[in-house]
Amino acid sequence: MQELDDYINRVQHLPPAPKVLPQLMGLLNKDDVPTQQVVQLLSYDMSLTAGVLQLCNSAFLGAAQPASDLQEAVNRLGFRQVYRLVVAISGARLMSASQKGYGIDEGELWQHAVTTAVAAQLIARHVGEDDSVAFTAGLLHDIGKIVLSQALEHIYTKVINDVETNQQSLLETEKKLLGVQHAEIGGRLLARWKFPSNIVAAIWFHHHPGAATPHQRLTSCVYLGNMISYFIGRGYGFQAFAFRGRTEALDILKLQPDDLPKFMIQTIESFDEIQTFLSIKAP
Amino acid sequence: MAVPILSGFEHKVVVGIADFAVSNNPSVILTTYSLGSCLGISIYDPVVKVAGLLHIMLPDSSIDTAKAARSPAMFLDTGFPMLLKAAAELRAESSRLQICVAGGAQIMDSVGFFNIGKRNHVMMMDLLSRNALRLKAEEVGGMVNRTMHVHISSGDVVLKVSGNPKESYLCKNSTTI
Repeated sequence: MQELDDYINRVQHLPPAPKVLPQLMGLLNKDDVPTQQVVQLLSYDMSLTAGVLQLCNSAFLGAAQPASDLQEAVNRLGFRQVYRLVVAISGARLMSASQKGYGIDEGELWQHAVTTAVAAQLIARHVGEDDSVAFTAGLLHDIGKIVLSQALEHIYTKVINDVETNQQSLLETEKKLLGVQHAEIGGRLLARWKFPSNIVAAIWFHHHPGAATPHQRLTSCVYLGNMISYFIGRGYGFQAFAFRGRTEALDILKLQPDDLPKFMIQTIESFDEIQTFLSIKAP
Repeated sequence: MAVPILSGFEHKVVVGIADFAVSNNPSVILTTYSLGSCLGISIYDPVVKVAGLLHIMLPDSSIDTAKAARSPAMFLDTGFPMLLKAAAELRAESSRLQICVAGGAQIMDSVGFFNIGKRNHVMMMDLLSRNALRLKAEEVGGMVNRTMHVHISSGDVVLKVSGNPKESYLCKNSTTI
């Protein structure tokens, strides 16, 4: 694992850690979350607070009057909704930029992330997993791409050729050419940022959910959410579909192949929710 | 107050997912972004210069008939007849239609549980044969995400593949290249 850490250390312009998220995640397990604790956690980050208040007023959340402070926002929307807004604002900061090493233009990784988050959340709700956790993992699943993009930029043509000629997945091509792959790097980065082990596993194994013991169910939600996002056109970059079909994801969640189109329809129907998160601009 | 003047300038009409549009306005370019496993289907009658574009997500409406009633363009079997009908209302004739198809991307899936792109394409071929229609050009399958533009003035169909800055013609001046 030392090589992975060295790899992350060598990358320039690594984004700042979303410090408040792992702490907020700790509150997800509690039945009754003290508003004051949430407000205190968020109040260290002014732009986060401003973002939450602004989103409170969005059409999707249905507030006629803007909330004037965080306390009111949490009381009105509930902790989990505010939590999702914080995840989304933190994600927008990390993922709005272009990722040239993957042929991903500005805003495209973010659109992919939000769509994956919403799809993973729908699936989690259906199979009885925590939908807020699935939303978080879905949103952050490709965070490793922002680490590897710089390295891939210089060998972009070679990567594309390798995928096309050898019928390798993008993940396998990354591993072959760089010695590391984006899912592993993403998991490692989130572990370093002190995210809980279920999120780390779901990101680390999001292309191989059967290996995510003991978090295969959450990871399968992310795997399928990611696939839905690609299918409905929110997967970008060249050879974006170069990843392996894992039927184990269906088996783990006891789903049928025909459930996938149904989740695709539900994801499209969540357009308003997706648009609300996409309206977030990175500060 | 300034009034935007559109005539004489090309302007884009965006067709979203599970949506369609037809037009005989030569200044319009019909565009649909980001076809993953979805299919984009364009039709063009060069005589009356009517074009249409449909962006379907799934092959078969039987999976959710209530949804199909509300949103027929989501499914190929309900969306395609609707596209043909709307074009016919603008005096397009099916015998003259140039039909182009793009999208239907596939992941690496040997078992075929996730092959929605392929199933979309199979249904498309079936609908064409049932309606005795001919395909002009297609770029379907593979592992790429495509954007499709239909120029009503010329009938040209242009594709852009995600991650590749170059655009290419799927159909040019009524001649496939």
